[in-house]
Amino acid sequence: MLEIKELKAEIEGKKILNGINLVVKPGEVHAVMGPNGAGKSTLSAVLAGRADYAVTGGEVSFNGKDLLDMTPEDRAREGVFLAFQYPVEIPGVSTTNFLKTAINEKRKYLGLEPMEATAFLKFMREKMELMEMDKALTSRSLNEGFSGGEKKRNEVFQMAMLEPKLTIMDETDSGLDIDALRLVSAGVNKLKDGERSFVVITHYQRLLDYIVPDFVHVLYKGRIVKSGDASLAKELEAKGYDWIKAEVEQDANA
Amino acid sequence: MLLETIKKDFIQYKDQAEPGNFLALREAAFAEFEKLGFPTTKHEEWKYTNLKSITDKTFQSTCEIKSLVNELFNASIESKLTANFLVFVNGSLVNELSKIIEKDNSIVISSLANARKKHQDIFNQHFGKYAMVEGQAMNALNTALLSDGAFVFVPKGKTVVHPVVIFNISDASDLNVLAQPRNLIVVEEQSTLTIVETYYATGTNASLTNVVTETYAGKQAHVEHYKIQQQAGACYQNNFTQFFQEADTNINHVTLTLDGTLVRNNLHFYMNGENCNSLLYGLYVTDNNDLVDNHTRVDHAKPNCFSDEKYKGILKGHSTAVFNGKIMVHLDAQKTNAYQRNQNILLSDDATVNTKPQLEIFADDVKCTHGATVGELDEESMFYLRSRGIPEDVARKLLLTAYAVDIAEKIKIPELVELLEQKIDGKL
Ligand SMILES: Nc1ncnc2c1ncn2[C@@H]1O[C@H](COP(=O)(O)OP(=O)(O)O)[C@@H](O)[C@H]1O
Ligand SMILES: [Mg+2]
Repeated sequence: MLEIKELKAEIEGKKILNGINLVVKPGEVHAVMGPNGAGKSTLSAVLAGRADYAVTGGEVSFNGKDLLDMTPEDRAREGVFLAFQYPVEIPGVSTTNFLKTAINEKRKYLGLEPMEATAFLKFMREKMELMEMDKALTSRSLNEGFSGGEKKRNEVFQMAMLEPKLTIMDETDSGLDIDALRLVSAGVNKLKDGERSFVVITHYQRLLDYIVPDFVHVLYKGRIVKSGDASLAKELEAKGYDWIKAEVEQDANA
Repeated sequence: MLLETIKKDFIQYKDQAEPGNFLALREAAFAEFEKLGFPTTKHEEWKYTNLKSITDKTFQSTCEIKSLVNELFNASIESKLTANFLVFVNGSLVNELSKIIEKDNSIVISSLANARKKHQDIFNQHFGKYAMVEGQAMNALNTALLSDGAFVFVPKGKTVVHPVVIFNISDASDLNVLAQPRNLIVVEEQSTLTIVETYYATGTNASLTNVVTETYAGKQAHVEHYKIQQQAGACYQNNFTQFFQEADTNINHVTLTLDGTLVRNNLHFYMNGENCNSLLYGLYVTDNNDLVDNHTRVDHAKPNCFSDEKYKGILKGHSTAVFNGKIMVHLDAQKTNAYQRNQNILLSDDATVNTKPQLEIFADDVKCTHGATVGELDEESMFYLRSRGIPEDVARKLLLTAYAVDIAEKIKIPELVELLEQKIDGKL
């Protein structure tokens, strides 16, 4: 599904990604962990197509297509979804109108007829129930005045509506209390169907108790320096990142 | 040259005028205008707005109707409202299109010319008392040579159920036309009124509208006042609106400028009593070489008053916007709360904004904030929408509409807001 080869990126001349390699197959859940400043958000932003970052090397293919060559909207319509670490508030744009536009633009792109208003509302109601979304939230302007937790839940709700093939979650767990964390995780788990893939970026192991990963990668200084199964996350939880950092420094000196 | 036409007009007017008080007032105003002359960019208040392209032209005051104004009226969004209509073409009342549905006979909705005869006491008590002529050349000119306009009188404790639409058309199909409408609105104690003041144009020649509106709000009165400017073509407008507020009054004003070659709005509020609320909202969408200039002034003359001002602009092409927001907090106006914002989105590198807040505060216990921004659409928001599969142009339109609708929705007539939103959408 997703194949990242030697991906390098920088911002304002500062090298942030220094050769990332990652392969995600359909139905897999990959966790990407790592200390603050490692480049996790940068990786997700580059994959989603944020223009601020300059890709200086490597390639990314998504279902056989060159992802880096596409506009952000085309990536989304091909089936990539980024759950933002800091979703923006957009006053004056209602969640309903926003989602209807997004869904119909995707359908147009795929050569499908737009969804009719009643069908759309029914679909939205179903997803709201599935995600246990409060009706009050979707009737408001997009994220406007939402609490941190509400914004994150809205990201997962949007994911449910847009039915992506690949979801990249950038620290969706940060700032969530335990109840919100459960709701968000349950939402993600409900969408797992053996085909959809997830890249779950997180700082803490906590989320991975609920969304169990098939693979865990540690990102440090713009590289994946260690990969393993779910037990690696437990190890990181117990021992912190220092031993990884030490290992990397040692390798560098050797 | 405009000045010559105007002098000729005034001599002609004097020859025909009935003698009396009103003539004296006009003569004094004309003398003031002659003394001041047309404003030039040397005046601080007119620094960015050059009237030369107007004053170099000749314009005729005419009441002849040359084109099918009925069609224009019927096609307008305002005509769809359930409302009282006073329709003026080049400053003269068109009886066939005007329609009063208000049933209460104590409420007067008529032409100013009619009011001068039939409601002399009210007219004399209020006319020319709020929009100052001294130092205001364009007001002086209007006072000297005003054609006709709307007169609305709401006696104490009455609510005018439906809005009063003051519908102005400049018909420049035959020649360059000059119209100088004059509106007087008197809302007595505890009364409520909604005014929709609207401007259209037709014809390929130039038009100049120099309009003055005075509104008196008696104690606890509530006035909703919406101004919608969409004069397409070579249209120039100078619009002076003065509110005079007694204690405990609420005024909600919205100006939407959607078209016009040169539009200068002067919006003045004078709070003459405590506990007044004044809301000033504006939206301008400019294109081509158009210039829209909003000069506002809020006089907090008494304590415990609140004013909130928000003007937003969207600029395209080579257009220019000017915003100057003056807030005067007088010496004894303690506990004043005054807020002001001016935001501009430039959609073109060739568009220009000149924005200036002007706070003059003479009291010490006040809360005043102001802020101005000039920029592009928020990149974070654009990326967010695009990352959900919404193409760039659609995303831009969504954001611009949201930005503009924020102001349009300050109008409390839902049917009108809906139609205006479609209009605005078409402009973006
Ligand atoms: N817009 C930016 N301008 C300059 N430096 C940036 C920018 N965004 C991120 N960085 C830097 O890139 C590095 C990686 O950041 P980020 O990807 O946000 O890390 P993480 O998400 O792993 O905490 C950090 O050192 C950060 O300071
Ligand atoms: Mg991050």
